[in-house]
Amino acid sequence: MTRELLDLMGISNERLALEWVSSAEGGRFAEIVTSFTQKIKDLGRNPLGVAA
Amino acid sequence: MKIEDAAQKTQTYYCLDCGVCTGSCPVSRVSPSFSPRIMVEKALLGLGDELLKDRDLWSCLTCSRCFERCPSSIDFPEFMRLLREEAMKLGTQPAYSHHGMLQTIMELQTQGINQKKTDWAREAGKVAEKGDTFFFVGCMPYFQVIFRYLGVDSLSVSQNIIKILNSAGIEPVVSDDEHCCGHDMLWNGQVETFEKLASHNLEVIRASGAKRVVFNCPEGFYTFKRHYTEHFGDLGFEIVHFHDLVAQMLEEGSISVENSVGPITYHDPCRLGRMAKVYDGPRDILKKLAGDNFVEMERNRENAVCCGTSGWANCSTGSKQIQVERLKEAEATGAKTLITACQKCQIHLTCALSNLDMGLELKDLTSLLAESIK
Repeated sequence: MTRELLDLMGISNERLALEWVSSAEGGRFAEIVTSFTQKIKDLGRNPLGVAA
Repeated sequence: MKIEDAAQKTQTYYCLDCGVCTGSCPVSRVSPSFSPRIMVEKALLGLGDELLKDRDLWSCLTCSRCFERCPSSIDFPEFMRLLREEAMKLGTQPAYSHHGMLQTIMELQTQGINQKKTDWAREAGKVAEKGDTFFFVGCMPYFQVIFRYLGVDSLSVSQNIIKILNSAGIEPVVSDDEHCCGHDMLWNGQVETFEKLASHNLEVIRASGAKRVVFNCPEGFYTFKRHYTEHFGDLGFEIVHFHDLVAQMLEEGSISVENSVGPITYHDPCRLGRMAKVYDGPRDILKKLAGDNFVEMERNRENAVCCGTSGWANCSTGSKQIQVERLKEAEATGAKTLITACQKCQIHLTCALSNLDMGLELKDLTSLLAESIK
């Protein structure tokens, strides 16, 4: 639902990620956060232009 | 606005202490500690600060049943609204429903987002970018996503409007840049956000060259009619309710309908009925669609009861009681279908109905109309 709402507002739904990571999966957590951070950097500033 | 000024503006000084307000209040019926009369008394006795911190300030449905009956014409809903502005400045706020999601969307709309929310309109029929008639869709694209789980199909109502307008030869303007009308922000005490949303909407409508704006949402209609003109003066375009336009089309014969609808009754939305005084338009359409199969509920027109919650805030067990009572009243008429003219009423009553074993169907007036067009 949040993805659909983001699309309506013209904020790409690619900016939202939802993943399940167990406390034993430290490596996977780091991997997900790193790749998502990179993805956001590639997407550039969001249309709101208010996020720090 | 100070409490004294709010009291002045809404004439609370004329209170006769008669209690008709509390006797008429649907919230007082289910929650006896809530009393409009005591709230007015408190303000007049200089206990306004207490009032601003009171949770009950946000429990008022602003349904205007008290104002309708008050012998001194005290505009209690407006009094609540003005007090809420003050309370908000002090940092108190209502209990937002749906995790505050709808308020967040409204806030985000003031931040310069580029919405993409009109694909459905082009699927439904012909729409224009500029033209004489602007169709103010309101929050329906968002409701469609948020309330899908209830089975409420809000966007189909907007699509049907485009189809009906098209069949009468009108290609309305529908805009991605349209924002929420600001109704909920206004009644949530956030007048600055309301003004941002409103001034943006006025710019968008004026840029479209529209001479008239058509509304289906009673809240949008009433907010433009009353609060936009209060805040911005003459708007420079006509404000039309879709049902009035339909009544006119039926009269002119540009559309015609079948009289074949089985027993139905009608729930007056507060904003459309008591506040905008539109009682007959929807009824004229219903009589054309159902003839003698249209029956009134016991509490109708100016005595109709609110759908139980307002401004996406303070939904409570009391709201549910009000809704269930209203649905039982509809069932008691013998009607199989309860017609609403407001998507919020539809959403709220559908929510209550989903927990009941009741052979009643809820339907929007515009959807019913679209099904009956020949």
